[in-house]
Amino acid sequence: MSGGQLERNIGFLEAMTLGGGTMIGAGIFILPGIAAEGAGPASSVSFLIAGFVALLAALSLSELATGMPIAGGSYHYVNRALGGFFGSIVGWGMWTGLMFASGFYMIGFGQYLVEPIPFLDGRAFVVLLGLVGLSLIVGVNYYGTEESSQLQNIMIGAETVVVLAYVALGLFFIDPTNLDPFAPTGPSGIIATTGVVFVSFLGFEIIATVAGEIKDPSRNIPLTMILSVVLVTILYALVMIVTTGVLPYQAIGDSLVPVSDVAVVFAGAVGVVAIVAAAAIAAISSSNSSVLAAARVNFAMGRDDLMSDWLSVTHGRFGTPHRAIVVTGAVIALLIAVGLQVETIVALLAEVASFSFLVSYSLVHVALVVFRRADPEDYDPSFRIPDVLYPAVPVLGVILTVVVISQMAPIIIVLGLGIVGLGVGWYFVYVRDHAVDRGLIDEAIAPTTDAYRVLVPVANPDTQRGLIRLAAATARAHTDEGTPELVAVNVLQIEDPDPQQNVAAERLENQRDLLEATRDIAAEMDVQLRTVAMTGERVDGTILEAIVDEEPDQVLLGWGGTLTRQGHVFGPNLDSVVEKAPCEVTLVTLHDETIGTPVALAGPGPHSPVAARRAADFATVDGTVPTLLNVQQPMADGEAAARKRGEVVIEDVAEQAGLDPEAFEREVIVDDDIEAAILDTVNRYNTICVGLSERSAASRVMFGTIAERVSQEATSNVGIVRGSNES
Amino acid sequence: MPLTDDATILVPVDVSTTEPPDQVILDLLQPVNLVVLGYYPVPKQTAPAHLKEDHEAEAAERLESIVSRFARGDHEVEDVLVFTKDRQDTIDRIADQYDCDAVFVPGETDAIDRILVPLRGDVNLERIVSLVGELVRASDATVTLFHSVPQGTDPSQGEFVLRGAADRLTEEGVDRDRIDWQLSEGGSPKRKIIDLVADYDFVVLGEGEPSLRDRILGAVLTPILAEIETPAVIVRDIE
Repeated sequence: MSGGQLERNIGFLEAMTLGGGTMIGAGIFILPGIAAEGAGPASSVSFLIAGFVALLAALSLSELATGMPIAGGSYHYVNRALGGFFGSIVGWGMWTGLMFASGFYMIGFGQYLVEPIPFLDGRAFVVLLGLVGLSLIVGVNYYGTEESSQLQNIMIGAETVVVLAYVALGLFFIDPTNLDPFAPTGPSGIIATTGVVFVSFLGFEIIATVAGEIKDPSRNIPLTMILSVVLVTILYALVMIVTTGVLPYQAIGDSLVPVSDVAVVFAGAVGVVAIVAAAAIAAISSSNSSVLAAARVNFAMGRDDLMSDWLSVTHGRFGTPHRAIVVTGAVIALLIAVGLQVETIVALLAEVASFSFLVSYSLVHVALVVFRRADPEDYDPSFRIPDVLYPAVPVLGVILTVVVISQMAPIIIVLGLGIVGLGVGWYFVYVRDHAVDRGLIDEAIAPTTDAYRVLVPVANPDTQRGLIRLAAATARAHTDEGTPELVAVNVLQIEDPDPQQNVAAERLENQRDLLEATRDIAAEMDVQLRTVAMTGERVDGTILEAIVDEEPDQVLLGWGGTLTRQGHVFGPNLDSVVEKAPCEVTLVTLHDETIGTPVALAGPGPHSPVAARRAADFATVDGTVPTLLNVQQPMADGEAAARKRGEVVIEDVAEQAGLDPEAFEREVIVDDDIEAAILDTVNRYNTICVGLSERSAASRVMFGTIAERVSQEATSNVGIVRGSNES
Repeated sequence: MPLTDDATILVPVDVSTTEPPDQVILDLLQPVNLVVLGYYPVPKQTAPAHLKEDHEAEAAERLESIVSRFARGDHEVEDVLVFTKDRQDTIDRIADQYDCDAVFVPGETDAIDRILVPLRGDVNLERIVSLVGELVRASDATVTLFHSVPQGTDPSQGEFVLRGAADRLTEEGVDRDRIDWQLSEGGSPKRKIIDLVADYDFVVLGEGEPSLRDRILGAVLTPILAEIETPAVIVRDIE
């Protein structure tokens, strides 16, 4: 039986309500006050800038997410591309960023419930309500809920209707004099405000964190991320124009509940009730999504060995990552409680969350560039940033991020850098010793090296060690052409992948196993080792695809050693690789752990020189000297003449193979029965290399009789070698 | 690919709990090919890959033990294990992928002697009748065909549908004396079926067209299912 499949259950509408809902969420009800204070009516421009920065991130993230549609969002892409150091920074940044954002939503929740009731006043009560709301969220998430998209859709729908009504009605009550002066704090005030309001645009990231669960990801991920950012940006800008247009911005700036203060002007008590209800729902749903996303980030970090597994253990009965949820909730509770001491807690939480995500997104842009340059086989995004916008999008994204961060208050920068420091510290304390993935930076910096490259498809954990050892040996023999590279490829065979099934997560699992299995071997061998996990309907086709992409000098394949007769020679997975691979091909059958002394059959076949060279490569494993063997039949001219003929052939083969005359032994045998003599002799050696025979005109694999008998009857390790197809 | 031309029924089982399949159901499903779908429900809080990591081995073991109870020589039993947040999504996908003719819906029953087969005119009729034929051919169960016509319609039209179905069922090898039919006039067919089901051990339903509301808010295969406790199969409308 094949492994369990992973269903994708989140459709377009649910993804929109998840992403857009979180964005429309609390931000729109709480931030207008702070924004108006910071930039006056021009705060709508701040929202537009923040939206633009978010759009750039959404573009980069869309490409990465369609390339790797699995759980974890920005963290995962940065970790894959840039390795554990930056992975740790973004992982912690996202986790704490979501905590700060969640705390911000819940304080806002408290403010909206407390303010309209005149006799309940004071921060203590705001904090208390925030904590009550939070414990509700944590409780529900601890026990687990079904994917009840209906309720979510209805709540987000109602909330959106209220906001749209606010904008539509409010437009008629705008007093143009309120909009003058438009930008009382100037450009720096607008940029500084951008930093605060950026927190409202976290929602699209939540779509990326659940990328593994989104149906038809190649369509839905880019569509929902980009659409939700664009729609929300427009909505936010309109809300700001209405808010600062109906009331003077100074009046709103003082308010903790700006939107309801404005709504009362044109919609009376009904408006206030509607706004308060919508704000409360918004805060709860945004905070809830943040807790969910935090748990996903945590799981993804645990999966990549960047976080202790203890944290992401799922509850035996509820199946929820209860520890991660409780820990996340506890930190959010602390952040809310800080509100007792700090008056400007709302802005503070919002801005620190913005900082964390801005840092993450700038690294996402870098990750995109790294992926594009390194272009690993398993990265094949169905959404690509159009050529006219690349590399403009990532470059502009990083620049704007730096600009926005530079205008933040010193205290925010200190706190934000503290979180970055946490990620850095965690890397040195934990990640460095646990994680195996080194990222793609090396490949991105020097994506095409001319060094010798060997590709090794591996599938069987029992034999992969031996295969990789041999491949490393052949690679190492070419050190003079630069540091040789070994590429271990694992193919996950999936027939007819359904867009509703999460295949990417299974591929990642394979990749991880492969990395772990090859890590030790890579460490003991002086070669660069890369691992690539691919999925495909057919194993041979996928290996050939990898060969086309990687352009290796040699592909080394394990072969069970059994000849199949039903239309195949070596087996259905090997034949077409042997036949079509443009590079050198070595088929290895391992009978024995020791590679020891190799022997190559130096005969007339076209692949003899390659076989001789392979024998010399294999000899380096145990530091032995290879032997070239030739067998001659005694003719009329006597045995000495036959021996002479054999030596000539050997020298000729060695010369074609480019072997140093001092670096191999020669053995010539004179016997009437050539085949029997070969079989007798080769078993004295540990490893035998033999060339495939001539290829027929039809280009089918031809298996020479000697090679065939050796492969079937020898008790030593056998390598069947075919030279490069390029003539 | 099924070994025979016989129908293939999808049997979903929850592999997060240990519930052995009913002997009665095992017997009933004897004459058809099966796809046993072991689904592991995932809460919204958890990534499916996460639960898979923690529970795959145990879920696979449960599925295997269930499948071994279904296993028999002459018909194929395939199995799939899926971690999902919405079993309906998964049932639809797998039924499609494995070309299943019908989906089994578990329920409570001690024996299967009386089977109710509501028919909606010509819709899916051929497929429903041939599946019923396959299931009951070798048993002694009786089959009641049911059809409802709107108030004021010529009842002979409904009778025509029922008689035709009964004839087809006889051709399928079910004795005529094991088949009867009921024609109802007016009222809500859905209500009528739910009332009738109480007297039966098993129901064979045709898949309904999803309404617009179902499409937007998530389809309910057929609202009748929500109100009955009898086991059933839903014959898929493949065209």
